[in-house]
Amino acid sequence: MSTVLRVAWRELVATVMTKGFILGILLTPVLIGIMLVFLPALMSTEPPKVDGELAVIDPTGEITNRVRAYLAPEEIARRHEETAAAVKEAMPDGLEPLTGGGIAPGAGPDVVKMVLGTVPEISVRELPAGAELEAEKASLLEGTPQDGGRLALAVVAPNAVTADARGRFGAYELYVREKLDDRIIGEIKDALREAIVEARLRSRGLDPDDVAALVGLPRVKPKAVTRVGEREDTEVLNELLPMAFMLLLMMSTLTSGQYLMTTTIEEKSSRVVELLLSAVSPMKLMAGKITGQLAVGLIVMALYGGMGVVALVSFSMAGLVNPMLVVYLLIFYFIAYFVLGSFMAAIGAAVNDMREAQSLMMPVMLVVMVPWVLAMPISRHPNSLFATVASLVPPINPFVMMLRLTSTAPPPAWQAWLSIAIGVASVFGAVWMAAKVFRIGILMHGKPPNLATLVRWLRLA
Amino acid sequence: MTDSAISLSGVTKTFGATVAVQDLDLEVPRGAMYGFIGPNGAGKTTTIRIVMSIIFPDCGEVRVLGRRSALEAKDRIGYLPEERGVYRKMRVAAFLRYVGQLKGMKGADAGREVTRWLQRVGLGEVAGKRCEELSKGMQQKVQFVATILHRPELLILDEPFSGLDPVNMRLVRDLIREEHERGTTVIFSTHVMHQAEELCDHIVMIHDGSKRLDDGLRTIRERHEARLLEVEPIDPGADLALVAGLDGVAGVERDHDRFHWKVGLAEGAAAQEVLARIVAALPVARVELHRPSLEDVFVEIVTRSGGGSASQLRDVLRGAEVRAAG
Repeated sequence: MSTVLRVAWRELVATVMTKGFILGILLTPVLIGIMLVFLPALMSTEPPKVDGELAVIDPTGEITNRVRAYLAPEEIARRHEETAAAVKEAMPDGLEPLTGGGIAPGAGPDVVKMVLGTVPEISVRELPAGAELEAEKASLLEGTPQDGGRLALAVVAPNAVTADARGRFGAYELYVREKLDDRIIGEIKDALREAIVEARLRSRGLDPDDVAALVGLPRVKPKAVTRVGEREDTEVLNELLPMAFMLLLMMSTLTSGQYLMTTTIEEKSSRVVELLLSAVSPMKLMAGKITGQLAVGLIVMALYGGMGVVALVSFSMAGLVNPMLVVYLLIFYFIAYFVLGSFMAAIGAAVNDMREAQSLMMPVMLVVMVPWVLAMPISRHPNSLFATVASLVPPINPFVMMLRLTSTAPPPAWQAWLSIAIGVASVFGAVWMAAKVFRIGILMHGKPPNLATLVRWLRLA
Repeated sequence: MTDSAISLSGVTKTFGATVAVQDLDLEVPRGAMYGFIGPNGAGKTTTIRIVMSIIFPDCGEVRVLGRRSALEAKDRIGYLPEERGVYRKMRVAAFLRYVGQLKGMKGADAGREVTRWLQRVGLGEVAGKRCEELSKGMQQKVQFVATILHRPELLILDEPFSGLDPVNMRLVRDLIREEHERGTTVIFSTHVMHQAEELCDHIVMIHDGSKRLDDGLRTIRERHEARLLEVEPIDPGADLALVAGLDGVAGVERDHDRFHWKVGLAEGAAAQEVLARIVAALPVARVELHRPSLEDVFVEIVTRSGGGSASQLRDVLRGAEVRAAG
C-alpha cells in the first residue's frame, strides 16, 4: 500500500470509527424521523373553539342570509372535507400509503382539517341600515371570541349587488376584533365574497351553480412520457428533487471538508505532524488526508442517498430519478469536495486551533451558502442567464449545475460537461494553492495568519 | 561526496527579512556521531528541516545518503523532531505500527518490532493504551521508538532529551550509542552543550544561522587549550596576592563558593611552570588545569567574532537550559 493510501486509510478509520461520527451520521435521520412522527402531534394543539357573532349592516337586504348560510357550521365542515380531499388529490400516489391522505408523512387524514382549525360557531346578526357605526364597532372590544361576543362587523356597500349610476359596483368594509384568528377572518371574507357574487349573478338572472360548473375544471395530474412508459408527474417531487440532490451534495462535501480541517488542526496542534513529515512529504500527507476524507464524504452520500433511493423504490417512484443524475452527482461531488476540501485543508494547516479557523472559514461558508440561497429561483428558472452563468463559475458550479440537472428543464449535456471541465480545472487550481499554504502553514505556530499572509505564502512556496 | 551521509553546500534559507541559515557548508561522513550545538534560534532546527526536505533552501545543494533529497531516502532516515507529538486517540502499538509502515516496514515486521522495542524501553504493558493516557515522559519514549523502529541508516535527533527524567535520559542515551555502534550515522542537535560533549565525536556549532565551528571534539579541545587553573588552598582565607604576583599569572579571583580560586594564565606562560610556582607559594589541597567546556569554546568563538559579551551569551545558554528543563 502506498504511503498516500496508508495515510488515507488512517484518516478514514480515525474519522468514521469515532462515537461523534457514528452518532452524528445515524442520529440525524433518526431525529428527522422522530420530527416527522411527532410534528403533527405537536401541531394538534388547536386554538380554542370560536363561538361568536358576525354583525352585518346590509342596505341591499340580499347579503345577510347568504352569509348566514355560508357560515353554517355544517357548511364549514363540508368545505374542510373538500379541502382535505383536494390536498390528497395533489399528493403523489406513492406517498399516500405513508401519509394516509394527509399533507405530511405519517400525519394521517385529519391533518388538513387540523390545520384548517376547528369548525367555528358563527352566528350572523343583521343590523338595521341606519345603525350607529361607531357604537357597533365598540362592541368588538367587549367579551371574548369564545363567549358569543362580536367577532366582526361587516358594512355592505349600497351598490354591492347593483351597480350605481356610474356603473360601478361596491364591496364591503370589515371591522374585526383584535387578534382574531386569521382562519376565522378568512371564512368571513369568503362568506361575504360568495354572498355578494351570488347576489349579483341572480340579479342578472344567472344560476350561480351553472356559472360555477361552466368556469370550473377538475385538477389535472400531468403524465410524463418516458422511454419506459408513462408515469404521473408529481409537482411536489419535481420541486423537492433538486433540493434533495443539492442538499446531499452539500452535506457530503461539508461533512468531509469539516473533518479534513479538524484532523489537520489536531495533527498540527498535537505536534505529531513533523513526525509524519519525516515519513511522508507534505504533499503526500495532504493527498492522503484529502483522499481519506473523500471516502468519508462518499460514505455519508451513500448512506443518505441510499435511504432516498430505498424510499423511492418502496413507493414505486424510482423512475423519477434518472440513473445519469447519480453519475452527475458523483462527478460533482468529487469536484466540489476537492475544491472545498483543499480550502479546508489549507485553513486547517494555517491555523493553530478551531477558534482561529472560524474567521478564515467565513468566506468559504459564504460562498457555499450562495447556491443554497439561490436554490429556489434557479430550480424554477433553470435555464435563465443567471442560472447558466452560476453553473459555470467555480466553486459554486457543482451545486448550481446539480440543481439545474435535477430541475424540470435540465440544461443541454454540453453545458453539464463544460461545467465539469471548468470544475476539474478549478480542482487543479485549488489543490495547487492549498498545497502551497499547507506546506508552509503546517509547520507554523504562533500568530494566526490573515488573508494577506496566506497570499504571501502562496508567493513564497 | 558519495561517502557522506549528509552533504550541504552553500545552503541559505530566509523567512521574510530573517536569515535563518546562511551559506552553510557541511559534510557528515557515514557512521559519524555529530553534535549540532548552538542556542535556541541559532538555525539548528531549520538546517535539520532542510536536510529532511520538510522545508527547502532558497539556494544551495543538499544530498542525503547519496540522494538529491531526503524525500528519496525517507525510509532510511529516522527523525525525532524538536516539536513532536503523538495521535492522542490512537493506541500506542497501533500508532507505532502506523509510523513504521509509513517508513516502509511490512505489517508483520512492524508489529514484531513494535512489541520488541516497547519491551525494551519498559512500555510493554501500555501497548494497548491510548497515547493520551501516557505520561509526558512515556510519550517521549514512544516518539523515540517511532524514530528508530525501522532501523534507519541516518538518525537525526533534535533535542532528544527534553522532557526526560535522568533515568530515561540515560536509557535514551544508551540506545543512541547502540544505534551508533550498529553503524548508524547520528546527528544530535541540542542547545545543552554538555550533552553533545558526552555523546558526540564531532561538533558543528551554529550561531545566527552561520557555522562557527566544525571539528572533532579532540581537535577542539587541543585548539582551545586550557588557560585557567583551578586552585583550592588549604586555608580558604589565604591572601590572593600570594598567587597574583607570580610570574605567568594574568589574574586571580575567588570562585562563587569562596573555597576555590580561578587563576588565569598570562599570554605565553607554560601551564606546568605556573602550576609549580603556585604549589611552592602556598599550601594547596588541590590544583588542576581547567579544560574548556564546549560552552566555554562557544562563548569564546562568538565573543571573538563580536557576537555579544560572554556574560550575555552564558545567560542565553543558561536561560535555554532552564526553559528546556522546565
